[in-house]
Amino acid sequence: MKMLQGEGILITYALGSCIGLCFHDPRLRLGALLHIMLPLNMEAGRTHPMKYADTGIKETLRQLEAKGASRSRMTVKIAGGAKMFEIAGGSGLGNIGQRNIESVHAILKRDNLRLCGEYTGGTVARTLLFDVGSGQACIRSYGQKDIIF
Amino acid sequence: MIRNYDQLTSLEIDTLREIGSIGTGNAATALSQMLGKEVRITMPEVRIMGYNEAIEWIGGPEAVTAGVLVKMSGDVGGIMLSVQKLDLINFILQTMLDRNIQDYKELEDLQQSALIEIGNIMISAFVTALSGLAGVDINLTVPAFAVDMQGAILAVPMAEYGGMSDYLMTIGGNFVCNGQEIPSHLLLSPDLRSLDFLLRKLGVNDG
Repeated sequence: MKMLQGEGILITYALGSCIGLCFHDPRLRLGALLHIMLPLNMEAGRTHPMKYADTGIKETLRQLEAKGASRSRMTVKIAGGAKMFEIAGGSGLGNIGQRNIESVHAILKRDNLRLCGEYTGGTVARTLLFDVGSGQACIRSYGQKDIIF
Repeated sequence: MIRNYDQLTSLEIDTLREIGSIGTGNAATALSQMLGKEVRITMPEVRIMGYNEAIEWIGGPEAVTAGVLVKMSGDVGGIMLSVQKLDLINFILQTMLDRNIQDYKELEDLQQSALIEIGNIMISAFVTALSGLAGVDINLTVPAFAVDMQGAILAVPMAEYGGMSDYLMTIGGNFVCNGQEIPSHLLLSPDLRSLDFLLRKLGVNDG
């Protein structure tokens, strides 16, 4: 997780099944970019909370709120959750991208966070850029036009 | 007993290196037969590293690459990936189909099938060596193919087994053909239960 206040751009590269979340408090011009890999933290020792949607969002919110951010002002934009490989037949990979999307949706809803932009699913990797000054996000993918949202 | 890659002893790492080296040797032989040309392989470099380190090692997260992925099941579960960069792709396409591409976007269906087939044969040759050495049965799925940023491609095994381990075993070697050296990377990511089992079968882990 990367956090920044004022001006600047946060980047997370090559999101496949992972999800990038941009948290933004416009009044404080405070932003955080979280990159989660898995839907739920089942680690015994909890050494990498930011890797998982549940503990990652919780910890990011804690740090944002410690800086004075307010959930009522905060907006969230998300990207990722793609399926990179399709294996024919039943013995494929667990569809982690889809599970990540569902988990993030459920947690944002539970925590009363406003999801105001989303590019998820599909089969293409995304690099996510987040301008903490304006709250604008941009997605860069191979062989496709940039998406600004 | 669940273990992590960073808990492996040097003897265990040496054993994995040896498997990597025999496996890639087999993969080179398979490639020779497929292409009808002599292909040798330089001494492969087998490394066990974290995701970020592995990404940097093969050229950064946003660099685009083609990847052939096969899932293993049976006695050993896990994922194997053959990472194919343009040099390797053009070498294969030139030899098999007498064509070259400048960008991955130019890949047509027939060429894509050729790459999948080569990736599949290399992975199968590797796994055959592994299962022969360890005396285990490993089943492979049909191969899947993707062209995209390698950060996202390498994240697939990490996400699949990421709850347990943050490490990948990477095997890099150069194929040598007509004096030309072409870099190739294979990634092996067994789940931890299987890694443990494998090392026990190879007789280096009594635990």
